Amino acid sequence: MSQLSTLSDAELVQRCREGNTDAWNELVERFSRYVYAVCTRGYRLSEEDAEDVFQEVFTRAFTHLGTLRNDAALRPWIAQLTRRLCLDSIAKRGREQATDEPVADGLASDLDEIDEAFTVREALATLSETCQDMLDRFFARDQSYRTISDELELPSGTIASRIARCLSKLRTELEGRKAGPGGSRG
Amino acid sequence: MSTEDYLDLRIDDFLDRLAEGGRAPGGGSAAALSVAFAAGLVAMVARCSRESWDDAGGVAAQSLAIKERAAQLARTDAHAWQEASAALREAGTDGDAEGRDRELEQKLGRAAAVPLEIAELGADAAALAALVGEYCEGAFRADAAAAAALASGGASAAAHLVQVNLSVQEGDERLKRARASEQAAAESAKRTLASIR
Repeated sequence: MSQLSTLSDAELVQRCREGNTDAWNELVERFSRYVYAVCTRGYRLSEEDAEDVFQEVFTRAFTHLGTLRNDAALRPWIAQLTRRLCLDSIAKRGREQATDEPVADGLASDLDEIDEAFTVREALATLSETCQDMLDRFFARDQSYRTISDELELPSGTIASRIARCLSKLRTELEGRKAGPGGSRG
Repeated sequence: MSTEDYLDLRIDDFLDRLAEGGRAPGGGSAAALSVAFAAGLVAMVARCSRESWDDAGGVAAQSLAIKERAAQLARTDAHAWQEASAALREAGTDGDAEGRDRELEQKLGRAAAVPLEIAELGADAAALAALVGEYCEGAFRADAAAAAALASGGASAAAHLVQVNLSVQEGDERLKRARASEQAAAESAKRTLASIR
């Protein structure tokens, strides 16, 4: 994990404004999956159109970062930018009429889900590597307690409790984010 | 009926389907659903104990994940078993015997992999049941014990299905894992049931 990856969004914006190239790379890395998910899963853009929007989002982010009023609100800003450019792309293709409303049934909930998934991902990144590893093994890779126990060389009887404690920490982090800026990444 | 539809049936319709003379669903699906029921019970007990137990939410989340996986395996097992049965029926017919044998081995292997996964989920559900049995509100201990017994039963049934699979021989790593899961689930259940007597 690079030092920049531990910075809050606001701190990262500050480094970008100072012209730090590595900070820009980190910003793209941090939001690339999010932007791409909004384009493809949210607005169902083709791969080609999604690629165009992706490039445009980060180009505009680069040129207009100075207009961002609240540095901690980087993600909502990028989200808004992405949504607007997706609608432009759809209008350009003539598939749908561009409006401020969702262009397809379920779009709003899809976007909410994407937002939630990325919020959880960010919160996960604040946990210890052991916690991240255990949660990934159990919930994403469907590993049994025995497999986790064998591979991490931990007593098998403690795995469920350890995972529960990691989830408690994740919940605390997420609640902190809902309550407002204050999580380790703002 | 397609095996994809089992989870959409009402419980009484599913039980009727299980009791019919058809090939599926069978023991593997029933074992998977026993584990899913157990995990659902564990989640309920944990959720009802949130006020007095800090880890209750985390245990409920794990139980729900196991419940989902086990329910999916009820479908997968029926499908794998039907495919293996069809391959067995074709095994004696004329044609490319070597190709058929290879296909049969693959399908039998898959038919053994699913109950093995069910047995491991059963062990995990039983471990969670033992955990909630220890820390839950007193009024829910009997449900925790019921969950442990169901999970152990599911694990035991699934381990037996691994053992009788034609592709599994004594000493096979899959059989060792299935038996270890069966034993772990039985120990968790024994501990949980003993604690409330």
